[in-house]
Amino acid sequence: MAKYVTQRILLMLMTLLIITCICFVLIRMLPPAELPLNDPHTQVIEARREAAGYNKPYMVQFGIFLKNVFTKWDWGVSDKLYFGQDVVKLFATKLPATVCVNLYSILLSIPLGVALGIWAALKKNTWLDYTISTLTMVVISVPSFVFAFLIQYFLSYKLGWFPFLMKEGTDYFSWNMFVSMLPAVFSLSFGVVASFTRTTRAELTEVLTSEFMLLARTKGLTKAQATVRHALKNCMVVVLPAIFGEFIGIMSGSLVIEKIFAIPGVGGLYLNAINGRDYPIFIMVSCFYTAVSLLAGIVIDISYGFIDPRIRMGSKK
Amino acid sequence: MKKTIALLLAIFMIVAMFAGCANTDENSDGGNADVGNTDQPDDSNTPDDTDPSDVKDTYTYQDSVVTMATNWNPHTYQTTDDAYPSDIGRIRIGLYDIIFNDELHPVEGKDPYTGYVVIPEMAASEPVDVTEQVKAEHPEFNIPESATAGYAYTIDLNPNACWEDGTPINADTYVYSMQRLLDPDLMNYRAADYYAQQLSIAGAEAYANGGHTAWADALGAYALADLVKGEDGNYYTADGQAVGIGLKIALDWLSGDTLQAYVDAYGADYFDVTNWETLTGMMDAKGVVRLNDETLALFTPVVTGNEAWGETEADLPNYFVTGTDYPVVEYDGTVGLYKSGDYQITLVLAKSLAGFNLLYSLTSNWIVYEPYYEACLSESNGVWSSTYNTSVETTMSYGPYKLTEYQTDKFMKFEKNETWYGWTDGQHQYVDPTDGNTYDMYQTDVIECEVVAEPETRKLMFLKGELMSYGLQAEDFASYRNSDYVYFTPSETIYFLILNGYKDAIKGREAAADFDTSAYDLETLTLKTFKQAMAVTYDKELFCSTISPARSGGYGIIGNAYVYDVDTGSMYRDTDQAKQVLCDFYGVDVSQYASLDEAVDSITGYDPEAAKELYAQAYQEALDAGFITDSNGDGICDQTIQIEYAISTDSDFMTQTLDYLNEKVAEVTVGTPFEGKIVFVKSAPYGNDWSNKIKAGLADTVLAGWSGSSLDPFGLTDLYVNPEYQYDAGWFDATTVNLTLTIDGEEITMNLRQWSDALNGATVAVGDKEYCFGDGIADVDTRLTILAAIEGEILQTYNYIPMMQDASAALLSQQVYYVVEEYNPICGRGGIQYMRYNYSDAEWAEYIAENGGELQY
Repeated sequence: MAKYVTQRILLMLMTLLIITCICFVLIRMLPPAELPLNDPHTQVIEARREAAGYNKPYMVQFGIFLKNVFTKWDWGVSDKLYFGQDVVKLFATKLPATVCVNLYSILLSIPLGVALGIWAALKKNTWLDYTISTLTMVVISVPSFVFAFLIQYFLSYKLGWFPFLMKEGTDYFSWNMFVSMLPAVFSLSFGVVASFTRTTRAELTEVLTSEFMLLARTKGLTKAQATVRHALKNCMVVVLPAIFGEFIGIMSGSLVIEKIFAIPGVGGLYLNAINGRDYPIFIMVSCFYTAVSLLAGIVIDISYGFIDPRIRMGSKK
Repeated sequence: MKKTIALLLAIFMIVAMFAGCANTDENSDGGNADVGNTDQPDDSNTPDDTDPSDVKDTYTYQDSVVTMATNWNPHTYQTTDDAYPSDIGRIRIGLYDIIFNDELHPVEGKDPYTGYVVIPEMAASEPVDVTEQVKAEHPEFNIPESATAGYAYTIDLNPNACWEDGTPINADTYVYSMQRLLDPDLMNYRAADYYAQQLSIAGAEAYANGGHTAWADALGAYALADLVKGEDGNYYTADGQAVGIGLKIALDWLSGDTLQAYVDAYGADYFDVTNWETLTGMMDAKGVVRLNDETLALFTPVVTGNEAWGETEADLPNYFVTGTDYPVVEYDGTVGLYKSGDYQITLVLAKSLAGFNLLYSLTSNWIVYEPYYEACLSESNGVWSSTYNTSVETTMSYGPYKLTEYQTDKFMKFEKNETWYGWTDGQHQYVDPTDGNTYDMYQTDVIECEVVAEPETRKLMFLKGELMSYGLQAEDFASYRNSDYVYFTPSETIYFLILNGYKDAIKGREAAADFDTSAYDLETLTLKTFKQAMAVTYDKELFCSTISPARSGGYGIIGNAYVYDVDTGSMYRDTDQAKQVLCDFYGVDVSQYASLDEAVDSITGYDPEAAKELYAQAYQEALDAGFITDSNGDGICDQTIQIEYAISTDSDFMTQTLDYLNEKVAEVTVGTPFEGKIVFVKSAPYGNDWSNKIKAGLADTVLAGWSGSSLDPFGLTDLYVNPEYQYDAGWFDATTVNLTLTIDGEEITMNLRQWSDALNGATVAVGDKEYCFGDGIADVDTRLTILAAIEGEILQTYNYIPMMQDASAALLSQQVYYVVEEYNPICGRGGIQYMRYNYSDAEWAEYIAENGGELQY
């Protein structure tokens, strides 16, 4: 196992380096934003670009970037969107809001989604199953921003239960902040709930019809006991990695939801960095997410072994 | 079931735990629904034992933006979003400010609130002209011998001005700040504002560019034989100027475009690009490679190696640029801004500037707080950056307000700056025209601004009383157009449809392998008759009401909001010359109307019958020229005229615009040879490159406009006759169009470029005579006549079809009112300075509750 994990980590580092290199070169290959001709300000911008080494060959630029990161942990400063600001600090200030909203969303939606999926599976082919399945399809088909506007209109405007936007400040765990996040949390949760409901129902339905379930019942277990001890555990082989995936995803912002509810998170930061050709921000955020995704892959793979001991990691047999 | 309940319980406990961690700081209390409800006075003003009846009402201005300011450093900020803290938040203030005229600030001959007054703010008094004295004492500033005024001023500083921490602001502050602003190592974005704009400080350019070379188009003046080779192998002019090849420099030879733009656009179709990458790799930051034998050998085949471009070695000098080396110099003795007293600075200018324009230029300020500024500077790999003015901790205010809270991309808050001199100087008062009472300026106690990206959210928040204004969207006009609370604000820009006339580019596009000339045609678009037909195809008012109801129909190329006389506030579009030129262009017989005003009001620019005739005429011309065919002789064009509309990014607005253009042209061409044969199609999203595509003739049309200084309509002419700016430089040469005007009884003929240059202050030689009609040289009436004549000539090219007069409309909250309803192009409606409140915050909360939490507008 240790050897397998070590191999995977080394492979991850190599992949990270390759992806970083590709991202770095591709973003710098994009033509810089057109500058107005004969505007004296453009001379300053060009001069700064030259001084920053943006006119050097791409691989030379990449070498300088790696040198700065490895020797000084210097990821650079934003040269456009947040002029002069350290991109690591900038990213760090953006991450908590995204993590909080997504965390609350997951804490709400995973239990709800799994529970609804179990319920629908146990009541398969009844009106309850049909209702849950139909609603699930409807919710999955509707984009989250539609829910966001509906929530804003009904819960914030008409009923006045919630503020329109996430509260300002960094007191992320205060009650007022929690309440102000709820519209965004609800908007994000609908899709996740529906997704987990559908996955759980599909897996559990299949497991419940397995022969070992019949055996479990015939040996005297109640339906609930057989479901919890055997069926649910088996269906978790598929559901649990999805849950891990969701938890990893809490660090990636939803651009649309962040925009609608004024969440100062990372979703907008990433997209703006691409649009604004703010290279240091783009590369820093890209590296972070690549690393997180690769790490998530390892964690999920390893988790299979814990969920189902029949799955052996790195075994050649 | 038990486990489910246990799970839910666990979630509840986790949430409760988070809630338990709540920050009890008062700043974190209250959700967004309460934002701005500062109905409880702060502790500093209200001791606990104060009688509640004595509690001071507070007034909070709740604002929203789509993009929050991220950098409001006066030396480096780049966008209008970044100007919010100074423009709205008023954390800093200029040496002078412009306010309305009223009983306290009277202007002779003007009714209150119909004009403006310039008052000293950070200055103590008006500038004193000391040109003669400085010319004699400081020859290093090179004030022209003939100059007697307008080049040097002493400005007494307001001795009461200080930073929000009480630190005095004196002459040293101004000199230090200017030195840092222009510091060549820092390469500050705003440095050029002080040498390349109207206010040009003597020596500022030389100091800011110290150690660098500035390149300029040599205009083909130097053949290779005229140059001398230096010891370094590079070529120089006989007088020692460096010579380079301008790859990314705007060249007169290329109608103001750069060679790089051409190579990017046409590539191997027109150029030999074998060496191009090598050359651009050698290019410096300014877009130049030094001229030597090696670079010349690399460059020559680029422009001579492809027959399609058709140039020879004799044309090479047209790409040469000459460089001016700026040596590294000291600030003292070079830059014309120095200390002449503890509270006095002397300003020496490279170009004369006086009167309103001087004061207007000094309404912004460059000063920075030295301790913060130095602490915020950092250097990495030779590039300097600064975090000054990017947070509360790095901001030191000196205006009526100070920044007290800031969260990136989320929220900013400004509160009154108690140390501002203006609260006690007795100067910042006005007489409210509605009740005749005298009030202090800046009634607003707190300004809160948060990011609200979605207009729908802004609307709901506004209707809940959580925002002070809401900019109307197209879909809102049906409901709110006639509201008592709606305000229309005119803007300078006229949006026109630019129609492609670049024959060479169009031929090139039609020659492409994937272009089917039997099905499509582009050349017809270049016919003037066709453009004329297009011009009368569209009902401009209907166009605006369909796609952008806040705007109105546009008829000239100069908008409605341009003031030609800053002393009187008179608008160009209100002059007889401007009205007459529109009547002439649209064929309105003024004699048929009671007045010129009535005649001009009758203009619609829409004439479907005339359009049909013109389309028929254009069809015949296109047929004769071989642009199109009619193979079956049915009198209908075989080809579709496919007009590519250059979009930067796709949007609903673009879709609506194209839908309208297509729908109306289809309607008007019914029964003509172009019936169903004219189609507007969207281009790929070109981003910021859309203008280059239009200029290069690679896209056929776009709705675009210019926004110049609202106080200088005359300067706009340059945009239409100078190839450096023209959209149509590829197919319209203003130097080939002569215009004859009678000025003071003398009949003068010059080309449009010359008229424009003369109008904007240049001395133009025609024959043995020289003409200049610049500001202060020619009388205003003459200048208006020239401006209107140039406008008429540009309209006659039909390269620009005016469509929309820019404007915006917004609802204003019932909590506040403007002291003036009428929009003033110089002072607007007074802004935060003059805003009056109908309700304090507490009263406003009550009012909203009384209305069921939903306000009607």
